[in-house]
Amino acid sequence: MIRPAEPGSPAPLGRVVATELKPATPHQFHFWTANETTIGIGAIVKVEGPGVGDQGPGRVVYGVVTDGFAYSDLATPLHDVVAAEGDPARAAESPSVRQEIRLWTAAVLRQQPEEPLQPVPLGAVYVASDADVAQALRMDAYVTGAQPSGIPVGLYTAAGLEAPVYLDADFLLGPEAAHLNISGVSGLATKTSAVEFLLASIFEHFPAHKGRVAALCFNVKGPDLCFLDRPGALDDADRRRYERLGITPQPFERVRYYAPFKADGVNLNTLRTHPDLVGDVEPLVWGLSEVLDFAEVLLNRDDIDAKADAFIDFLSDRVLNKEFDDGFGGSHRVQTFADLNGLFRAIFDGLELSGRSDMWRTHHIATIRKVRNRLSNISTRCKGLVTDDGPSSDLPWGRFEDRTVYVVDVANVDPLGQDLVFARAVSKLREHLERRDLGVEAVVVFVDELNKYAPGDGPETYVRKMLLDISERGRYLGLVLFAAEQFRSQVHRRVVGNAGTTLFGRMDADELATPGYHVLSPAVKIKLATLPIGELMVRHPHFTQPIFVRFPRPAVLRGRDGVERFPPAADLPFEEAVVRQLARLDRRIRPNQVKDLIAERRPDDVRRALAAVRRTRPDDALAYFRRMLGARVAPATAPAREAVPPLNPISEEPY
Amino acid sequence: MPRSWVDAILAAGAVPASYVPDASAGRTDLEEFTGADGVEDVALRTYAVADTRPLAPGTVAFLDGIEQWRVVGYGGVTPIVRGYVAAAVRRRGPDRRLRTAAEASREVAITRLESLAEPLRRALAASGVDLLELAEEDVGQPGRAIQAARRELERARLAQERELGERCLAALGPDEWLVVDGVLSDSAALSAHPRALGVIKSHGAQYFEGPELERALTLPAGHRTSVFQPKRRGARRAIYSWYLRLWPWEGNDLLYGLVRVEAHADAVTVARASALSAWLLRERSPLSTPDARWDRLLYAIHDVETYLRSRTPRDVIAPPGSRLPRTGS
Repeated sequence: MIRPAEPGSPAPLGRVVATELKPATPHQFHFWTANETTIGIGAIVKVEGPGVGDQGPGRVVYGVVTDGFAYSDLATPLHDVVAAEGDPARAAESPSVRQEIRLWTAAVLRQQPEEPLQPVPLGAVYVASDADVAQALRMDAYVTGAQPSGIPVGLYTAAGLEAPVYLDADFLLGPEAAHLNISGVSGLATKTSAVEFLLASIFEHFPAHKGRVAALCFNVKGPDLCFLDRPGALDDADRRRYERLGITPQPFERVRYYAPFKADGVNLNTLRTHPDLVGDVEPLVWGLSEVLDFAEVLLNRDDIDAKADAFIDFLSDRVLNKEFDDGFGGSHRVQTFADLNGLFRAIFDGLELSGRSDMWRTHHIATIRKVRNRLSNISTRCKGLVTDDGPSSDLPWGRFEDRTVYVVDVANVDPLGQDLVFARAVSKLREHLERRDLGVEAVVVFVDELNKYAPGDGPETYVRKMLLDISERGRYLGLVLFAAEQFRSQVHRRVVGNAGTTLFGRMDADELATPGYHVLSPAVKIKLATLPIGELMVRHPHFTQPIFVRFPRPAVLRGRDGVERFPPAADLPFEEAVVRQLARLDRRIRPNQVKDLIAERRPDDVRRALAAVRRTRPDDALAYFRRMLGARVAPATAPAREAVPPLNPISEEPY
Repeated sequence: MPRSWVDAILAAGAVPASYVPDASAGRTDLEEFTGADGVEDVALRTYAVADTRPLAPGTVAFLDGIEQWRVVGYGGVTPIVRGYVAAAVRRRGPDRRLRTAAEASREVAITRLESLAEPLRRALAASGVDLLELAEEDVGQPGRAIQAARRELERARLAQERELGERCLAALGPDEWLVVDGVLSDSAALSAHPRALGVIKSHGAQYFEGPELERALTLPAGHRTSVFQPKRRGARRAIYSWYLRLWPWEGNDLLYGLVRVEAHADAVTVARASALSAWLLRERSPLSTPDARWDRLLYAIHDVETYLRSRTPRDVIAPPGSRLPRTGS
């Protein structure tokens, strides 16, 4: 008989049992409960060992339920068949129900006292309270105290309890450990939502003593991250969870959007082109100097050899942005792809005219031609992002703002261009963080589709090397990688292995069958395979076992809802697009003024002038645009061609 | 910290022992012919009950008891037995689950005081344990003394069951039945109650001879005999009874699946003997395996036994290997 609890004291929900075959150990124990119980896989429980004398309760052990068993006193299934005389319907007619047991296995989260480490006492088992959850997960070490560093990650929910679970900022954002990896099947909006929620949580709870923090998010598919500044729909349960977690349910206050142009060079290549929103999107355009340092990203390693590498280095070191004598009497100042093309042409012409040899400054002409072909091709393949000519428009290096999300939308960019954007952006972040002049002390870089960028197999790529570098060394700099993927098993081991915190959403059963998940019990795997939206399994350095948490929907507009509410605008004609961009910079500008200015002008000239205005942000944008555009050059009149009389006047006679 | 009475007698000079006799389980029964009077039929007949609509009481209480014992010491050659008896009533409601409604247990020391040395006697008296005295003629030979102790303990168990059963009758709901493992006729209250059933698995006592005995013991599965009234023996009360075959005996033995049912000696009992039998047939499921007596042991009774065994103090039963010689360490 279950003894009623004493008033004021919680009733035990089970008791630890141990047999020779299933003993209690310092890391695992078994307990039984009533058949009808509120706990399940993932529940946190507390075991109180019997105390000695009047010294109160003895050893206290916290555990998380990792497996469950039910069985009856049936000796063999055959006996059930015999009793029912072979008729399954009759089995249900038995007047008595067999004795059953609910036996649970729990993994130890924490023991108090921690030393000496001993087997779990055979005591009563209780549902963990809020305070117990904090103790069990060792959150007491960093959620309270003079400099708390807890970052809410969600609510632990079991047995009617909702207890906030915190990550330690020192272990999420460095310097102790860092990086976060999230896995889960696609299409459930869990991975992106979790990161959006967690960023909001970080922005609100990042400890003041750790300085300023920003996030750089690469939007690599659809409109996922295009509406982070717009409020999304929340229900009462979400609001209650936000309140419980101490997070304000509101969209991000400061979001900066960047997107390259489309091939036309004036329409932005993003889904955030609704007239009400497109004004916030800054163009992302890079020129030769931005690209050349990362030429390795764009050039296929297989066909670029050491000689080509050396020539590219020569161009970077000796030619770019310098007065350079080509050796044939010409002087070049290479700043753009067009300038570089001019240099190449001069070299080829010079070698051909001089007839000297096939070598130019120790570089063979074949190597020069190869590099020229590859580089010339870049501006074609990444048109819109890489400009042939003209200045660049870039992220605000050195001026990053606290609690600001920088979204770089490369969803519709050629994969090569995505690699370039990622490589350059991360390199610049690292460069500035090393110099401590980025504007913030820590940056979270969010990369989705890690399967694609850091696969476990396949050729070594620049991007993968870069991700490895962040994973292994970023925490010292404050460069933190938040990465998401569908199949964790297919991501480079060192990238996922260096993630201090790991989140799992609903997982694919095949993925769970891979060796990386062997540490999980079958029951936990089943739970992972059926995890509802909004629930995650969390691994964190302070938690000795994975914990399940529920997080509220992010307070931002989901990508697909955003596209419905703010449908992307159709591409504007060239003239209209130029007008809109100038008008955004200076509201006094009238469309007709711009149209008159650019009528019959070469689009490249217009684009160059527009980029200059964007970069300079003058008070009088139209005047500056006019000056950059230069004077209209009247087309020269072609001299009239004189008719050349036929050598033999046509006679009347045909022969 | 108070010591157990076993520790006390060992300290008082008893030679320690740890001996569980082979026949410590089970119960003794009469092994004699007593005779019976026909109630339903003059001559014993058989009735098929498989197609009879069974009685289906919403709530049923099941009563059973256990006994555990072992020799814990010797005073000279006189054994000192530690006995434990317990009985419980487990009630089954509409959810078909069994829950304990009442239980009682008792620990006893069985020996002959006069045969023990004075310090042992004092130690036993001081310990406060219930003492069951063996008769003088039973303690001459240790083997006989042990058999006598077993009978004493069985009597103690029956008394415990009877007391608990009678107590339970008072709390029985208006439509609730009490099913007892064993005879009802030992108790005036139980045998007189209209909703008490005794289910007897052992068949030491025989009530028929000749063709009627053959008819009773070769009863087909799903059949019962006519209701009869066993002839009174000693203090036993008037009761109605019949045999019921739960499982086919062919291929096993005559008593396989055979139970004898006891119920209130009343015309109503005769009228619903088939319905009661059909109900007990349903109680075959679930099987009470792995108990060796599963062919006659109702699952609910088995459940009461299991419950009682799980509640038995662990030191009553000698742990395996405890008879190995003690090592020096």
